[in-house]
Amino acid sequence: MLPSYLTMAAILFCIGLYGALVKRNAVVVLLSLELMLNAVNLNLVAFSKYGVVPSLTGQIFSLFTITVAASEAAIGVAILIALFRLRGTVNVDEFDKMRR
Amino acid sequence: MFNIAITGEFAAFFVFSAIMIGGAVLMISLDKVVHMVISMAAVFLGLAGMFVLLEAEFVAFVQVLIYAGAVSILMIFGIMMTKHQAVEREPAKPLHETLAAVGALCLFGVLFFAIRTTTFPEPQPFQPSEDNTMAIGELLYTGYVIPFELLSVLLTVAFIGAIVLAKKEADE
Amino acid sequence: MDRYTQAAWLIPLFPLAAFLVLTALGRSYRRAGVFIGSIGSLAAFLLSLLIVIDRLGANEVDYNYSFDWIVIGDYTLRIGFEVTNLTALMLAVVTLVSFLINVYSAGYMKNDERITVFYGYVALFTFSMLGLVLSDNLLSLYIFWELVGVCSFLLIGFWFTLPKARAAAKKAFIVTRIGDAGLLLAILLLFWYMPDHALDFTTIQSVFDGQSGAITNGITTLIALLIFLGAAGKSGQFPLHVWLPDAMEGPTPISALIHAATMVAAGVFLIARTFDIFQDSAAAMETVAYVGGFTALFAATIALAQNDIKRILAYSTVSQLGYMMMALGLGSLTGGIFHLFTHAFFKALLFLGAGSIIHAVHTQNINEMGGLGSKMRVTAWTFAIGSLALSGIPPLSGFWSKDLILTIAWETNPLLFIAGLAAAFCTALYMTRMFFLVFMGKPGAASSSAHESPASMTLPMVLLAVLAVASGFVETPWNSSFGSWIHDGSEEAHSSGVAIVGSIAASFLGIYIGWLVYGKRSVSRTAFQERTPWLVKLLERSYYVDELYAAIIVKPLKLLGSSLMVIDAYVIGGIVRLTGAAASCAGRAAARLQNGQVQAYGLAAVIGFVILVAAIVGRRFLP
Repeated sequence: MLPSYLTMAAILFCIGLYGALVKRNAVVVLLSLELMLNAVNLNLVAFSKYGVVPSLTGQIFSLFTITVAASEAAIGVAILIALFRLRGTVNVDEFDKMRR
Repeated sequence: MFNIAITGEFAAFFVFSAIMIGGAVLMISLDKVVHMVISMAAVFLGLAGMFVLLEAEFVAFVQVLIYAGAVSILMIFGIMMTKHQAVEREPAKPLHETLAAVGALCLFGVLFFAIRTTTFPEPQPFQPSEDNTMAIGELLYTGYVIPFELLSVLLTVAFIGAIVLAKKEADE
Repeated sequence: MDRYTQAAWLIPLFPLAAFLVLTALGRSYRRAGVFIGSIGSLAAFLLSLLIVIDRLGANEVDYNYSFDWIVIGDYTLRIGFEVTNLTALMLAVVTLVSFLINVYSAGYMKNDERITVFYGYVALFTFSMLGLVLSDNLLSLYIFWELVGVCSFLLIGFWFTLPKARAAAKKAFIVTRIGDAGLLLAILLLFWYMPDHALDFTTIQSVFDGQSGAITNGITTLIALLIFLGAAGKSGQFPLHVWLPDAMEGPTPISALIHAATMVAAGVFLIARTFDIFQDSAAAMETVAYVGGFTALFAATIALAQNDIKRILAYSTVSQLGYMMMALGLGSLTGGIFHLFTHAFFKALLFLGAGSIIHAVHTQNINEMGGLGSKMRVTAWTFAIGSLALSGIPPLSGFWSKDLILTIAWETNPLLFIAGLAAAFCTALYMTRMFFLVFMGKPGAASSSAHESPASMTLPMVLLAVLAVASGFVETPWNSSFGSWIHDGSEEAHSSGVAIVGSIAASFLGIYIGWLVYGKRSVSRTAFQERTPWLVKLLERSYYVDELYAAIIVKPLKLLGSSLMVIDAYVIGGIVRLTGAAASCAGRAAARLQNGQVQAYGLAAVIGFVILVAAIVGRRFLP
């Protein structure tokens, strides 16, 4: 049973990675990041039940992950709003001031 | 891996995984951003179901509350405040997209290979307590109290930071 | 009485010191340059004269001093100097002519601003030639041989601003290089086959003289022919003669020194030194004799149709060198060396006379001269003596030496005797033609401003004229002291009535016909021209040998060079450019990654991570 949960998590992680690298809208990029973090959570909880030493540690760790992910999403959106006010766009393609 | 009995657990797992994968794929392929957020919410809900299957009821609850509730709405707020166009029209960047797809597929291949070839030792049976919430609470406030406190500091900093960042400049 | 001979190693050092001082002085000190150069060669000459006097007695032992130079394993190369009678004679001749040229050039090159450089080169040449003469083994001889070639190149191209001079210098160097390659191959063969890899002349003599059978006949012939190739290059035998006439682009004192008296004699000298190898191989001797005889006649006929005063003398030199080679090929060392000895004096005299004329009338075309006899008396008289000596009129020196050669030819090979006679006839004819056209008759276009040359130029000519008269008496049919002195008495006095009469008849016939056509004008000058214009043209263009070489050798080589240049520019240059372009393309492609977009960087990170993991995981699958 464990391998199927891990595979599931891997699928979600890779889909999230693809979205993070390809999407133009910054909000959607943040959304994909949330997907990736969710996949990690799934892994943690699966290991907490089916791992070598099953315990609740995995679930507690996943709580922490959820918390950090949520605060990161909040900060990310706040930055995006500030950037939107400055630049007028949220397309990641157009934030290339580090070019050359 | 394919000789598993069709138990209720398996059926539930199958349903929830279908929801999750469907939601994820829809997220990256839909046009309108709001639709993307909604399919994302479906993913979060499917994940919550998975957590229940894994006997982590409290985590499932928190997942629904935070992710499907707060984070999705946060994203919608973000969309509303940053663009008025609802439709996401992308110019084609075939090289970039192909390479990203290839990279993601290769990464999945590596992970799948690792999962397939690892022999997980026979797990000891998991003893869930009757009240998952109580058990987590006990553990959180005794063994993991320091990370808990740090996390609360983090949350405070985060919401203060978010407010400061998103504040409109004072008109002077 | 060996003390002067022991100091023979000093002789080349005088002109070498002069060269170093003159090079250090640069172009500014002109009078000092003349003085230093002359002093160097005078010192060398005095010491050489003392050595010759030292060795005048009969049965003087050869003196050899050598020391170990290079020791490789069990092979030791010794180097040093050797003084034999032949060597002593050459020393005296070379230093005397060099000294006279130094004095002459003071007048001839007076207005040239690079006169110090000129004297430096002459000193360097003298040093090289003396080193060549004194060498006791073939390797050091080869070193000096090359050095002499370099000096010839420098001096022919002395007026390097003229394209003709540059071309002539290049041609001389390249053509003699062909000969030098032959000589190098001969040295290598000798090194391979000689016992103990010895290369010095005494060992060569003993190995080949005794016919110990150590070296097979085939190899001996090959070595001898290769040495002859080297000698033919330096001494201008057919087919390597083409550089000598063009070498006349250099200043006339140089033509006198190098291309009449000394360097071109180096080939004859080489064969004389390695004569034992030649005597061992009948085929080689025949080759030498026939090539020499052919060259003598060939060049003499060309000289009949030339209009440039120096070119006539150049072809004459080629022809006389052919005589010397013929003598050596017929087995007479004495004949060859004696003719070398007398030829050095009268040919140098003729060239100096030509230089004096050119200095006066500023042209080299004999058709523009005329009537100079009355204006330039000393030049005319000395030139006449030189011409008569060259034509072989008794009792001048040329007669005795040419007669010796013709006698030997009559005794051994009548065909070559006929060729020698014909060449003697042509020699007399062209010299008479030249003499009458230049000195007699009505003054030509250029003769109006002519006047006699200064004493620095006429004195050497007078001295050489005296030698041209007197030097023949050391070897007559009745007194073979020269022959026995040079060659240890192994050749007795020759005398053959047919030869004496034949040579005198041929010379007088030539002079008579020349006087008829050019002096008395009773036969029209253009008689030949009208009847057989093709013949005259053929002779004038020296049998089109230069054109033949240009078509067969030079053009294909140039074509090869151009095609290789194209390959170099496009193929190899293309590869180089391709490498550069590839590097810059790779750079530009990589620069596209730095577009400031986070997603691109993230993608690069993911792909790099995947590759890294795959590499690490994949290692477990490698055998």
